[in-house]
Amino acid sequence: MSRESRAAVARSAGLDRWAIGTIGAFAALAGAAALVVGAGWLGRPRSTRPLADPIALDWLRANQLAAQLVALGVAAVLVGFGVWWALRTVSRQARPDLVLEATGNGLVVTAHAIAEAIRADAESVSGVAEARARVVRVDDVPALRLQLWLRHGTNVRAVWSELDQRVLARAREALGVPAIPTAIRLELGSARRQRVT
Amino acid sequence: MRLLIRLLAPLFALAIVALGLLMLVEVAWAMAQPERGALLVPWPGWLDRAGQLAWLGGGVKLAAFALLAFGVLLLLVAALSGRHDVFLQDPAPDVTVTTSPGSLARIVGQRVRSTDGVRSASVTASSRSVRVRATSRLLDERRLRPVLIDRVNELVNDLPLARTPHVHVVVHSAKDKP
Repeated sequence: MSRESRAAVARSAGLDRWAIGTIGAFAALAGAAALVVGAGWLGRPRSTRPLADPIALDWLRANQLAAQLVALGVAAVLVGFGVWWALRTVSRQARPDLVLEATGNGLVVTAHAIAEAIRADAESVSGVAEARARVVRVDDVPALRLQLWLRHGTNVRAVWSELDQRVLARAREALGVPAIPTAIRLELGSARRQRVT
Repeated sequence: MRLLIRLLAPLFALAIVALGLLMLVEVAWAMAQPERGALLVPWPGWLDRAGQLAWLGGGVKLAAFALLAFGVLLLLVAALSGRHDVFLQDPAPDVTVTTSPGSLARIVGQRVRSTDGVRSASVTASSRSVRVRATSRLLDERRLRPVLIDRVNELVNDLPLARTPHVHVVVHSAKDKP
């Protein structure tokens, strides 16, 4: 298992989880701190002080320009991070075309064409009821994401061997690359229902 | 949970952008026109109100508790939204093969339900364990359980899983009821 093939299993939600977890941690810490102060565990006098503490407000008024500049900086960071996060979250994962010849007019195979050829090839493997293929970019390297629905009772090892020796080998040969990081998702015993006409 | 985090992420991102923009506008306005008060958000009024509320007030404690609960909820969502793929052995160095716990549970369920004497079954699976709950009218637990354990183990061992899950079987049989 290479790092690229492992990363190709699914689009990472690491950033979303980290950001939402961080927001949650800040909210929980702020709530807990307010409860601790309100309960008087940091001293009874402190719990009777107002939320907008006059000492803090006086300090802010005395250092107004610096406080405003810091607030502007924080606001700019929030806008920048929010826009970057939103764009990253809603944008589609890159599906890179493959450049086979960069010279002259060049020869480019589109990601869709590669995926469609591999999908058709994978569906011809015995035991595979349906296949879905997608070319994705992982660490600037094209990788293949393959989802296979296997028929009930299919021998998984036989499917593997045929996939690697026929489908993936042919793809590597056709594209002229020594290796394609590939993530295969198997759906076992769930051949999709076929429409009866 | 994964779907929830995918839905929450753009909402939080947009909320952060909105918060940042409002801060930018208000601070810039306060720097440019200090005597004219707030522009979009009535924050001076909020500040006055915060000056009247003490930390030990009931409303403040309630708000603090709500904030704590909200934060813990977000932490739970973030922690539980990881992938639970079941990894299979790699057929080649550049290939990673996975299946879903639901997929593994489905084929185990098919195998269990096809066993003589099993009336119904429910299965939960992960990369570490497969748990089967079967019901039977014809066979008691003492006779059916070893058969089911054997059949599920045979199926699981036939699959080239990276880690062989432990099989747990519980049988509820009408024969065992007094």
